Amino acid sequence: MLSNLEKVQTTQLLKSLLQNTSEICAAVVTTLDGHLCAKEQRDEYALERLATMGSTLMSLGDTITAELKMGACRNIISENEGGIVAFMHINQDLVLVTLTQQLNALGMLLAHSRRCAAEIAKLLHNT
Amino acid sequence: MKEIKLVFTGSMGAGKTTAISALSEIPVINTDVRATDEAALRKERTTVAMDYGEMTLSDGQKLRLYGTPGQERFSYMWKILMEGALGLIILVDNAGEHPLQDLDLYLTHFRQYIDSTSAVIGVTRMDMAEQPGLDEYYDYLAQKELQLPIFSVDVRDRDNVVMMLEALVAMLEFAY
Ligand SMILES: Nc1nc2c(ncn2[C@@H]2O[C@H](COP(=O)(O)OP(=O)(O)O)[C@@H](O)[C@H]2O)c(=O)[nH]1
Ligand SMILES: [Mg+2]
Repeated sequence: MLSNLEKVQTTQLLKSLLQNTSEICAAVVTTLDGHLCAKEQRDEYALERLATMGSTLMSLGDTITAELKMGACRNIISENEGGIVAFMHINQDLVLVTLTQQLNALGMLLAHSRRCAAEIAKLLHNT
Repeated sequence: MKEIKLVFTGSMGAGKTTAISALSEIPVINTDVRATDEAALRKERTTVAMDYGEMTLSDGQKLRLYGTPGQERFSYMWKILMEGALGLIILVDNAGEHPLQDLDLYLTHFRQYIDSTSAVIGVTRMDMAEQPGLDEYYDYLAQKELQLPIFSVDVRDRDNVVMMLEALVAMLEFAY
């Protein structure tokens, strides 16, 4: 899906996302059909599986919003006892999954992840 | 029985999504996305969450039909979708490279459900590849000490699939 160069550049963007926002503890870019393209994390999460599950959840989100005629699905938020996970489209084929363990960091997680997704979309659009 | 939940599983491209679209009386829920890997060579789109449809048999029995993604990386969905299911349909693409090995993957993963609920095997695309024949499938099951009905089906043909489902539902009614 992505060339090696694109993978390296995408990983760089995930790296800066984690460097600039200490609350975000992992970020994954996955294809919509569930293949991991790039990842970055502070802890040891099973990111391959998270990537595939991210594709499942994103497609369900798209299916639900289409059913309700609410336009495109921007993001899916999963708020949990131990943290928050956000899933969002980068473009038609790619999904960004990010997570934080801080329960009060939802706005920050969404804002920074959205910016990162836009940067990745721009990068891939230009290469 | 009030409503029966059935699950279609099996190899990618075997026809799970096509079968549910052919059968359903309601607009199907479909989660196919563009395939980005080697699968794209065979099929443009692939299921990443589930298919869902509903139908009524001629005797009034209502069926809820779920389809799983085929690829093993989505096996967490297999477990989720089997929750509460009374019957399992394993579809195998006979035109795939190793149909019996494909079947083996699902027999292994779903063994617990096969033993506790009812299951049938539907071999699809036999018009594209005649071999292995159904007798080879029966031999293969015998090796695994399994006795399941095997059908050759063209899932594009509604009546064909209905016949297989009626057999499965009859097994269920017999078992309960
Ligand atoms: N020639 C032929 N094609 C079939 C038969 N059964 C299914 N197909 C085709 O095989 C493909 C199956 O794709 P799909 O339903 O997406 O498979 P899934 O991955 O199991 O959901 C479709 O293009 C069907 O039209 C069959 O018996 N003969
Ligand atoms: Mg499918």
